[in-house]
Formats: sequence, structure tokens, C-alpha cells
Amino acid sequence: MKLSIKDQIGPRCIIKEDGQKIYDAVHGALQNGETVTLDFEGVSQFASPFFNFAIGQLLKDIAEADLRRLLQIEHLNETGRLVVERVIENAAKYHGDKDYRKIVDDILEQQAKESD
Amino acid sequence: MTQKVIQIPRINDGRADFATLFSIWSQTNDYFEDVRFDFSTCWFLRPNAVAFLGGLARLIESRLGKVEFDWNTLHDQRVMANVCQNGFAGNFGYPTSAWSGNSIPYREDKTRDVGGIMDYLEQYWLGRGWVQVSQRLRDAIVGHMWEIYNNAFEHSGSEIGVFTCGQHFPHNETLLLTVVDFGQGIPAKIRGFFRQHADEELVAKLTGASCLRWAFQAGNTTKVGEPGGSGLDLLKEFVRLNQGKLEIYSNDGYAIVDKDGERFENRELTFEGTVVHITLRCDENLYRFRDEAE
Repeated sequence: MKLSIKDQIGPRCIIKEDGQKIYDAVHGALQNGETVTLDFEGVSQFASPFFNFAIGQLLKDIAEADLRRLLQIEHLNETGRLVVERVIENAAKYHGDKDYRKIVDDILEQQAKESD
Repeated sequence: MTQKVIQIPRINDGRADFATLFSIWSQTNDYFEDVRFDFSTCWFLRPNAVAFLGGLARLIESRLGKVEFDWNTLHDQRVMANVCQNGFAGNFGYPTSAWSGNSIPYREDKTRDVGGIMDYLEQYWLGRGWVQVSQRLRDAIVGHMWEIYNNAFEHSGSEIGVFTCGQHFPHNETLLLTVVDFGQGIPAKIRGFFRQHADEELVAKLTGASCLRWAFQAGNTTKVGEPGGSGLDLLKEFVRLNQGKLEIYSNDGYAIVDKDGERFENRELTFEGTVVHITLRCDENLYRFRDEAE
């Protein structure tokens, strides 16, 4: 399966609604173990909300190693690559369990140190 | 209805100037009160003040107050020319139309107008021929700026929208952009999020600076059910690599990112909302993409 992102979305990939369209188009195929290619030829502007939804969401039920093997990305410029890598990194953290009580404790501990 | 007269002094874009703006905000917090802004003592008004005052006027109007910008009291011709040129005066009762110059138009977005905002950034902020940068850098900059707008619309909960103004300073080749919302503010949003997971007593102790520091860390997000936490991280990295400056005032917190790193402070004067004030250099030679930074 190969998708032209410019045809589907246009030259700006910046909003979550457009990311959701791509997610909906590829999620099933990736879950079935099929290879998917996203072609970014002609796309020049990128922001994280698009990739959070298009790709970050995929990590909910697809392991990062599987995603990297099955999802091929072509013609993505350097800015886009930077954004997508950061989103994958952060999505992996997001989908892990977080102990927010401990996070609050840690923040308060740092505050206390700074006020000493 | 009573009318309160508020003096608008000289307002630059330092921290004391933002304190002045937040003090003006605090003077307008009564519902059902009309406000007249008096410019008798104003001989300098930066675009951050323009964006803030425009948003504040819409905030007061949303509370059923009337707002008058008393242009008859504005005697400084340069300030008058500037607020006419950027369209601010025309938006608030002065019979004039905006024209092109070094100023970047004042803009109001009640809702998320993606095409309008991106075109504004490309055509009016970067695209007026004064910024000599490659198309690739131009695309990168507007993408990073979109993160600011996205955060404002996604997180602030502002019912009156987002307010923007900017300026180009040819003498030192810098571009300014200020984006203001009068929503709940980043620390308030983070405290609200943590309250769902931790004791109120502990959450109440979180300072504005600590909340902003948490928000700036990669992967941290208050979104539920969707990944996030990359926008501010990408923006701050871009600003640092390009020797720019990013300042965020939100509630009782203040964050600054520049070539020296990132710092977070608590502010005595709080306000409900967020101001993002960004300074970028226009010199292509200063810019480095991440893969060129080593």
C-alpha cells in the first residue's frame, strides 16, 4: 500500500485532523502486518499535531520495532524527519505507564532544592 | 454603566513592560464595566502591547463591557502611524486602513483558521521580501510557529481566540511575533491535570515556574488519549539553534529560551492567559538545521 500524502492532504501536514485521516487509512493494513509507504513528495510544511495523530497513535497497538519495519517513509524533508522522529520518541513515552503522583513529588522536590 | 479610564504608558517588550500589561489586565477584571484606554502618556508601543491590548479589548467586550481606544489622546505621531499601519487602530474605531511597511498586521483569530494563519505567517511575517531565507527555512519556520497557534487553540480554552502582532526591525535584522490568548494558562492547565492524579494539597504547591519547566520537557502532555508533548520541545530547539529568543508568560510563570539555555521563573503578578513572544534572526547564515549543528 502506498499513499501520496500531497494527494490526500496537500502541501501542509500540520493539523491533527489530517493526521487522523492518514491514521485511518493505514492502521488496519499495518495491524495486518502489511507494508505501508507514505510518500511525502511535494509536502513542505510540518508540525507535530499531524504526526501525533498519523503516526504517534499507531504506537498504541503496534510495537515501535514493527512500525519501523512496516512503515516506509519516502521523500520526507529534513524538518519533517525531525518532527516525526520526535513524535515517535515521545509517543513511546506517552503510551508507557506514568506515575503522576511520583512526578508531582519529583517536581516539588526540585522546587524545594531550588528555594534552598 | 461606569467607565474606567486606564492609562496606556510607554510599553516596550521587557519583563517590566509585560508586568505593566498584566497590571492593565488586572484593572479590567470587573464584569459589566466599560473601559476607555487613554494614550496621553504613550510614546512607544511595541507589537506585544498591540496584540495584548487588542485581545484585552475583546475580553472586556465578551464580558459585556464597552471598550474605547481614545485615539484623540494619542499624540505621538510615530505610535499613531504604527497602529494605523498594522491595522490595529482601524480595528478599534479609527477611520483608517492598514498599509504595508515594517509592521506586521495585527490579527485576531476567534477560531482556528489554519489557512489564514499560515498565509499570514508566510506572506506578512516572512514573505515581504525583508527576510532573505531559503524556501526550506521558510517552511521550517512557519511549521514551528504553527506549534504556538496549535497550543493556544488546543489548550487554552480561550473563548475569544488568539491575538497576534509582529514587527520587522531592519537595523538588527530581527523579526518579532507575539501570540496572546486569554485562556486558562499553562500552569493552571497543568495543575488541573495533576489534580486528577495527585493530592490537591501537593498540586497547589506547584509553582508557575515548575509547571512551565514540566511543559517544556519532551513528551510531557496534559492530553488524554492522544500523544503529544513535542510542540514546545521542537520550537525551543529551533529557537536555540538559530540564536533566537522565546519567552512565555503564563499565569504566574515565566520561561525564556535563548542561546544560553532555558530558564524558568515565578512572577508576582499573575494573569489568566498566555503570551508567547518570539524573536528570530533574519540572517540565513545564522540558521542551522539540526543535521548541520554538529
